[in-house]
Amino acid sequence: MITLIRLEILRSLRNRRYLFFTVLYPALMYFFFVSIYKGGSVAGGVSAKSYFMVSMATFGAVGAVLTGSAQRISLERKSGWVRQLRLTALPGRAYTLAKIAACAATTLPAIAVVFALGAVEGVRLGAGQWLGLLAVLWLGSFVFAALGVALGYAAEPSAVQPIVMIVYMLMAAFGGTWYPISGSMRNFARFNPVYLYNQLAGFIHPGNALDTAAAAGLAGFLVVFVAAAAFLYRKDTRQA
Amino acid sequence: MSGEEVAAFRQVSKSYGRVRAVSGLDLVLRPGETVALLGPNGAGKSSSLDLLLGLREPDQGSVTLFGGAPRAAIEAGRVGAMLQSGGLMTDVLVRELVQLACDVHPRGHRPADVLRNAGIEEIADRRVDKLSGGQEQRVRFALAVAGANDLIVLDEPTTGMDVSVRQQFWATMRAQADAGRTVLFATHYLEEADSIADRVLVLHRGRLIADGTSAEIKAKAGARRISFELHAADGPFEEAALRALPGVVSLEVGGHAAGVRTVRIRSTDADGDVAGLYRAGLYPRGLEVGSLGLEQAFLTITEEHDAEESAR
Repeated sequence: MITLIRLEILRSLRNRRYLFFTVLYPALMYFFFVSIYKGGSVAGGVSAKSYFMVSMATFGAVGAVLTGSAQRISLERKSGWVRQLRLTALPGRAYTLAKIAACAATTLPAIAVVFALGAVEGVRLGAGQWLGLLAVLWLGSFVFAALGVALGYAAEPSAVQPIVMIVYMLMAAFGGTWYPISGSMRNFARFNPVYLYNQLAGFIHPGNALDTAAAAGLAGFLVVFVAAAAFLYRKDTRQA
Repeated sequence: MSGEEVAAFRQVSKSYGRVRAVSGLDLVLRPGETVALLGPNGAGKSSSLDLLLGLREPDQGSVTLFGGAPRAAIEAGRVGAMLQSGGLMTDVLVRELVQLACDVHPRGHRPADVLRNAGIEEIADRRVDKLSGGQEQRVRFALAVAGANDLIVLDEPTTGMDVSVRQQFWATMRAQADAGRTVLFATHYLEEADSIADRVLVLHRGRLIADGTSAEIKAKAGARRISFELHAADGPFEEAALRALPGVVSLEVGGHAAGVRTVRIRSTDADGDVAGLYRAGLYPRGLEVGSLGLEQAFLTITEEHDAEESAR
């Protein structure tokens, strides 16, 4: 199983297109937003540099795990690689676990690159806060990895790609990725995992503690996504 | 070891919706056999292999591998398989994929040995997604023989291979069989079944319609073909004399020129027929006696089966 996990991580890091969209693209978007706001603040008084540092880190992380799990699982189910693996002594869950591990390994550079840019741009945080933020955002990405696994077992590759893009963009648009969510939109955003994910970073601002309501909400989504993934996985196993 | 069952199907049936893919299959594989599974497309070959490997559950009956559940045999590393639709992992090197297969096998071989035995040493450092169809097949084969299996299952293994690669492949396969492994392969190349298998199973519309050596299958279909012409100038034509010949499975009499009749006989006793022709005072011209290939035998058996079905 270790070999499988190692290989899954290796191949993700080797895939240039994947790295471009998950690491380079959020980094470029970060520069774009920072230059638009010219060092000012977003609504609510938070500096644009730190706001977009978090939202682009989550944007990259969610993109990395959704495409890394959903699309690949769907493609590999179709190609027959999943069947081939079922003819080995590996337990059935090993494949899914290796996929999630590979996702987790690729979200770290996606987050770290945007953090490094934020530091260059002048975001100042204590060492503990940097590490805490990295840990929180990294752990939060597992929620989306579970969603990705569920989507990967739910549909054919041709359908999964648009589904992933739509889900990803809708969650980002109403989750505070490109602009802060305020007013009545918050009532809906409470049911959006990307919004909750972004809220996790609130503790870096003076006077704020970790948003436990957001963390609890995300944990709820994790349970739902894992249950859906397990159900769809079993259904797929019976069929092929 | 002899007498032990490698694999057993007992009254196994499987349907997909309204399509009956496998119907009442009863079959036992014994250690050391090399068995070919023949059948036209849609005969139920792949479905049977899926059931054998535990990828699907039968609707009725039971499938066992080494006396237990298929999954248990796979986890014990007793079975290696190469599926028709066996996709491979992308973005990895052939060497890394073979390494993975060796590592996960409970009785895995050394990757270097597997690469050599499968004849893929020269492509070991290529990316899996940059291989030709034939090379991919050999990589799949390498994955199937990455450990010390007792049974090797191959679904149309030589599809996409050119002739020389195919010969090389079967040489490797024979070495596996000579080492005492049981080999079960599905194919639609009948000459492969004829030259490699010591037992041939013919599957048609989900049913097992023949099971024996390739010689037995041919005999069942009427093993030899006799053809000749009878000219009116040589004597009167009597069809009754032809019908009286021994071992005749089928008899066709045609004519393309005046006074000339073309006769084609399929028979299990060609020697007796030729002697009988002369004894009956006939003078066969352009006499040819040939053996029936497994391909024709196969077609004959499946056609007979269809005729029986429609007569019912």
